[in-house]
Amino acid sequence: MLEQLLIFTRGGLILWTCKELGNALKGSPIDTLIRSCLLEERSGDVSFNHEAYTLKWTFHNDLGLVFVAVYQRILHLLYVDDLLSMVKQSFSEIYDPKRMAYDDFDETFRQLRKEAEARAEELRKTKQVGKPVTSVKKQGQVLKAGLEGGNKRIGEAASKKDDGDGNKAKVSNLTNGHSKENQQLENDSQETDLANGKENTSSNVAVDLSKLQKLRSKGVRGRGVRKADSIGNKSSKLAAAEPAKKATKKNRVWDDAAPKQSRLDFTDSVDENGNNDHVDVVAADQGESMMDKEEVFSSDSESDDDEEPGSDEKPAEAKKKGWFSSVFQSITGKANLEKTDLGPALKALKERLMTKNVAEEIAEKLCESVEASLEGKKLSSFTRISSTVQAAMEDALVRILTPRRSIDILRDVNAAKEQRRPYVVVFVGVNGVGKSTNLAKVAYWLQQHKVSVMMAACDTFRAGAVEQLRTHARRLQIPIYEKGYAKDPAAVAKEAIKVATDNGSDVVLVDTAGRMQDNEPLMRALSNLINGNQPDLVLFVGEALVGNDAVDQLSKFNQKLSDLSTSGNPRLIDGILLTKFDTIDDKVGAALSMVYISGSPVMFVGCGQSYTDLKKLNVKAIVKTLLK
Amino acid sequence: MENLEDLKILAEQWSHQGIEYLQKIPPSQLYAAIGVLLFTTILLFLSIRLVRRTKSNTVLLSGLSGSGKTVLFYQLRDGSSHQGTVTSMEPNEGTFVFHTENTKKGKIKPVHLVDVPGHSRLRPKLEEFLPQAAAIVFVVDALEFLPNCRAASEYLYDILTNANVVKNKIPVLLCCNKTDKLTAHTKEFIRKQMEKEIEKLRASRSTVSTADIANDFTIGIEGQVFSFSHCYNKVTVAEASGLTGETAQIQDFIREYIKP
Ligand SMILES: Nc1nc2c(ncn2[C@@H]2O[C@H](COP(=O)(O)OP(=O)(O)OP(=O)(O)O)[C@@H](O)[C@H]2O)c(=O)[nH]1
Ligand SMILES: [Mg+2]
Repeated sequence: MLEQLLIFTRGGLILWTCKELGNALKGSPIDTLIRSCLLEERSGDVSFNHEAYTLKWTFHNDLGLVFVAVYQRILHLLYVDDLLSMVKQSFSEIYDPKRMAYDDFDETFRQLRKEAEARAEELRKTKQVGKPVTSVKKQGQVLKAGLEGGNKRIGEAASKKDDGDGNKAKVSNLTNGHSKENQQLENDSQETDLANGKENTSSNVAVDLSKLQKLRSKGVRGRGVRKADSIGNKSSKLAAAEPAKKATKKNRVWDDAAPKQSRLDFTDSVDENGNNDHVDVVAADQGESMMDKEEVFSSDSESDDDEEPGSDEKPAEAKKKGWFSSVFQSITGKANLEKTDLGPALKALKERLMTKNVAEEIAEKLCESVEASLEGKKLSSFTRISSTVQAAMEDALVRILTPRRSIDILRDVNAAKEQRRPYVVVFVGVNGVGKSTNLAKVAYWLQQHKVSVMMAACDTFRAGAVEQLRTHARRLQIPIYEKGYAKDPAAVAKEAIKVATDNGSDVVLVDTAGRMQDNEPLMRALSNLINGNQPDLVLFVGEALVGNDAVDQLSKFNQKLSDLSTSGNPRLIDGILLTKFDTIDDKVGAALSMVYISGSPVMFVGCGQSYTDLKKLNVKAIVKTLLK
Repeated sequence: MENLEDLKILAEQWSHQGIEYLQKIPPSQLYAAIGVLLFTTILLFLSIRLVRRTKSNTVLLSGLSGSGKTVLFYQLRDGSSHQGTVTSMEPNEGTFVFHTENTKKGKIKPVHLVDVPGHSRLRPKLEEFLPQAAAIVFVVDALEFLPNCRAASEYLYDILTNANVVKNKIPVLLCCNKTDKLTAHTKEFIRKQMEKEIEKLRASRSTVSTADIANDFTIGIEGQVFSFSHCYNKVTVAEASGLTGETAQIQDFIREYIKP
């Protein structure tokens, strides 16, 4: 059962909720979704789990609307994506920014939900029968939706076509007679495309099908057109089931024919459109789902143009059109942005981020999130797609790098002082990143603020570690607590904290042994140290030089700290200290990767060899460098 | 370096030519031209001033996430919070006369109200609006005040030390929201607690090194316990309830700075 469906503005005003469902949601899953997913640049994800609920969402970026469906996590509701995209379409037709109540939408929703449920039910029944049949079902539905949708959006559909896809335009030329249905169909199938993009689609469908899906983006729709013709001729108000059945037979034939051809054309088509990412998502299969229907549908309706001879000329043609229409668009500022328009700009941006040493995985996720926030938006006048994408990315980067919580350590130190206990910081990280050196820098900084500091040498593993820390302590004239090498680091830390409490030190800085994130015994020791002593701050020390490994290090550290903890509420990394920042020039990507993956802020940046070489992260400067 | 020398010579030549040219023009014409030039620049400056002044009917609603800004925004605009709200992802903006003023006769100057999301990741958005702000309403949740006191104070501290706020002396209303509930804290209690918190922040935000958090300005008087009356701008306190539409004090505050 669906628990709730909400429609709200990006500004946060709820426009419509399903009163029929009415169940009060436990906790506030919607707010949690917004705070820990959508605002964390993870809106490109497929779904979000919160306690017993699963949430799915879709955006209408041009109108600034968000549609969220909530259902029990244990129920794998198959029709949710389908329902969301239909609700989005229907609601966007009646939406008026001046209007705040949409009681009349209740009835529409009831209808849409019934339809979606029926389709899901039918899918379940026909699952064993075979794929062609299921595909047809979907087809009927989409067609119907298209026909019912009316003629309003023809202009829109037409303008979408101009977006650099020469093939589409060609198709519409071929079929002047039935351009209405044709365009509407395209429009609709595009929308299903969007819905699909988010979905991890089913595995049972043959590989051909998932490959076929890639072709959809090429947007040549010979078959779809033909189908539209035949159905459109009959009547524009056909019931859903009727055309579906009729189309079945034809469909089978097409299905057989299509895969082969599409395979041949496959390699170039993907590259031209820069749609690789989309493809990857599809390939990551996750069990049977509603979506295979749509996949099949789109494949047979759109993949056919490859039959046309002379497909080699297409790229050039498309490019020309693309250039012209982009100039035109930049003047009129009319067209809605589509995935295919955003593709090249996002790809370029992703590469730029990666040259700045941002981990590939992170760059990818960010681009998905930016795409999700731009898709369907109208380009404003005199702007280019690339600059729109860049501005959206800039906003996203600022959001990520802006700390989620206070990074005012001195305020925390004072608070601990009021409670007459020392403030404990544990420095963790892999080998050789500069933990001890930067611990000394932090100690120096605290001294400058008239805070009394004590060091605890808990690296009882690496030879020479204690001596190294002792040298720093002597130079800074800071007391150090050490117990040689043989001892258990957790015990040393405990004793150190006790001594600090007794002699009234304000802060204890705990040095730990560097360890690889995969070293199970050492990670267990660290988990013991942290959970046994409950420090105020677990500071991850990481090199600014690190690239893709940043993600692995931080996620594994957090993972291990959580897995190996014996307490119910494990402590994770609270903040990041980025070292060797002076050696990286403009390759500042590690800062972004680490913050994104851990959700923790960069508290300090180490930028040199002397004690004074410690800075706060300058978010604006980092963002500027990343996008340069 | 050589390039620079070349440029210098070129510039000298041009200035010579210019002077010669000027000497050819009769002085009366020259004075007239200078007069016209002066007049237009003065006019330009005046008009820019004027535009600025008319522009500054912007009032910002700020405060932590969940303090009730969006509810207040719609209460002020429509007199209703409609079907409720969720966490804002983007600012709400509108230029309107308050809902309660709709019945009044005569032309009333509309207010440009901006509800800036309180989620900490969206904080940088506030800075975009501060240069044009005529007043700021800082909303505090009076129900869940104590757990949020530190975070709210920190946010308010950042606003009070912002260069725009200090230089333009933007007035701030500390608005204690959700007073419809009996368990809500009083505005006096909230003011005192926040003053105490800011006093602590003053200590931790003293900048001695690059590793410190950088604020544009410091606030308060050296050697004295902090009080809002020490601020460069005016800080006042009020109570409101977005849920029941109790917004009279907010409206009074705004209308003090944006005359109807
Ligand atoms: N009791 C009571 N609850 C209120 C009042 N005003 C708002 N709320 C509740 O507080 C919650 C948050 O209100 P919002 O207006 O969305 O909060 P916000 O300040 O806009 O939060 P962000 O958009 O995240 O910055 C909602 O659930 C409201 O119902 C009030 O006056 N009294
Ligand atoms: Mg809000």
